[in-house]
Amino acid sequence: MKVPALRCQLLFLFVFSTGQRSGATRAAHREVEFYRSQPKTMEFTPEELELPPCKYEYLDHPADVQLHAWGDNLTECFEQVAVAMYGYMTEIDKVEILDKQEIEVSSDDMQGLLFQFLDECLFVFSAEPFLIARKVVITEFDKEAFTIKATLYGEEFDLAKHPQGTEVKAITYASMQIYDNPGQHELFVIIDI
Amino acid sequence: MFDELRNACRPGMVGGFLPAMKQIANVAALPGIVGRSVGLPDVHSGYGFAIGNMAAFDMDNPKAVVSPGGVGFDINCGVRLLRTNLMENDVKPIKEQLAQSMFDHIPVGVGSKGIIPMTARDLEEALEMGMDWSLREGYIWAEDKEHCEEYGRMAQADPAKVSMRAKKRGLPQLGTLGAGNHYAEIQVVDEIYDKWAASKMGIEEKGQVCVMIHSGSRGFGHQVATDALVAMEKAMKRDGIDTNDRQLACARINSPEGQDYLKSMAAAANFAWVNRSSMTFLSRQAFAKMFQTSPDDLDMHVIYDVSHNIAKIEQHWVEGKLRTLLVHRKGSTRAFPPHHPLIPVDYQLTGQPVLIGGTMGTCSYVLTGTEQGMMETFGSTCHGALQSQHMSTRTVTQHDGTTCTTHLECAIELATSHQAPRRDLSSRLCLPRSLVVAHR
Repeated sequence: MKVPALRCQLLFLFVFSTGQRSGATRAAHREVEFYRSQPKTMEFTPEELELPPCKYEYLDHPADVQLHAWGDNLTECFEQVAVAMYGYMTEIDKVEILDKQEIEVSSDDMQGLLFQFLDECLFVFSAEPFLIARKVVITEFDKEAFTIKATLYGEEFDLAKHPQGTEVKAITYASMQIYDNPGQHELFVIIDI
Repeated sequence: MFDELRNACRPGMVGGFLPAMKQIANVAALPGIVGRSVGLPDVHSGYGFAIGNMAAFDMDNPKAVVSPGGVGFDINCGVRLLRTNLMENDVKPIKEQLAQSMFDHIPVGVGSKGIIPMTARDLEEALEMGMDWSLREGYIWAEDKEHCEEYGRMAQADPAKVSMRAKKRGLPQLGTLGAGNHYAEIQVVDEIYDKWAASKMGIEEKGQVCVMIHSGSRGFGHQVATDALVAMEKAMKRDGIDTNDRQLACARINSPEGQDYLKSMAAAANFAWVNRSSMTFLSRQAFAKMFQTSPDDLDMHVIYDVSHNIAKIEQHWVEGKLRTLLVHRKGSTRAFPPHHPLIPVDYQLTGQPVLIGGTMGTCSYVLTGTEQGMMETFGSTCHGALQSQHMSTRTVTQHDGTTCTTHLECAIELATSHQAPRRDLSSRLCLPRSLVVAHR
């Protein structure tokens, strides 16, 4: 059984305490205090820090821009298109992985799901925590219920560090195409700039 | 416009977009439309409606619809022009410093945050009161309101109808210019065609310096539009509204979704007016500091403030009868003629000033509305199509004092895949009378 190192320390503290078995409440309280005392910087596994290849491009449009993303499966397409959007707002190579944010979206159909997913990514940047993601990992993708759970890895947008690109105003359904067939996994979505 | 159509008609197109011509046609098929679906001279493809599209709907027809696509994502994106007492010769020797001063005062670009202190409570009040809030807080002069469409405040605004998401997006961005085709530009009058009308606006002679601010409701408006589109998609299924295009999401004007949208759109419009007012304040400060004087002494009055992404309830003569219409203007500026009750007293004889901002390298124009425009397009004209930015060069000019000294446009390079020259407006302005040309 794999017990994380932190948990071990906690058990250690508990065993060598006053010995009174007041049970769950005291342990929980100690656990909360223990976690609160941890420093704020996040630690990431090498796997989390590894960057995926770039599988997206930007296509011309008179007033906006069309994101085209592809991959080995639909999940990868969604991950790539989110990074494509962030990459339009700044130079993505200047973004480090120092923080992460989990998001969850749902919709009634696949197009709606893509829309909600990108809208949530945009919201995470536009309001607290002002996060720009270098890497997006979808942890759950339910194609029947149309729900997605994902983790965004990146950092808070900093004018001093990140060059200003083009602002993304909104996600649109304009000419949205999602292909999920054997041998063809790609999607097109137009974002309003 | 014809290029778009040509490209779209090529067989085997994957990943393309609907050309403007087809979009104007789709709009003409919407229920409750009165008169024509008009494409203005600078029309190009947009979301649902083309950009540069005007369409009016009958408020008395229960089937008539309201569509967020007909307003645009950047609700109340508009242009404001300020005059000054300065001449080109006063500004020329210090233009780099002046541009820098403007940059220092006005937050601009992706990820920029407003420097005017705002709490959530302030935002609620600003959404409800529009420029009245700016006046109360001391950011504007009382006469600024006079020279603004709707006097800077749409009364039907209801902040309660706006989602928390939109407010969260809007709060940090109030008082920022934005990115893309937004700008705050110091301009010089190049040519005056109608001296009398120009002098009514405070433009006396060639070489006079003006400031043009082009901005909208930032992330707030975008989120309001997005939220409305999602809500209306559901309403369309319920009410059985059929359109030719999924993006033409709309709802009956009298339905809860329609009414909610109009109220939150008005709140977003107020946000944009407060935003432009904040930038007016910051521009005045920048100039005052530079010239060691006060904005009063520089006579930096607002000439006018126009919106080119908005829906308004107006009365128009249709086939001899006065009707109440919901006029959607997307990428289209209102241009009311002389003696119209909704334009300020100062401009009753000249007609409403119409501000058409140019793109980099081309001129901006100040025009006046005409009766003919009123008849043909319900008093609407173009907005000065600003072609989008292409990824090829995302140079931000603010740090490069040599190439760009008199304007603050971000992400400027315009390039399309066809390498077409930037559209010059001079050949396209037909309905309004040409008045003053301001040169960069």
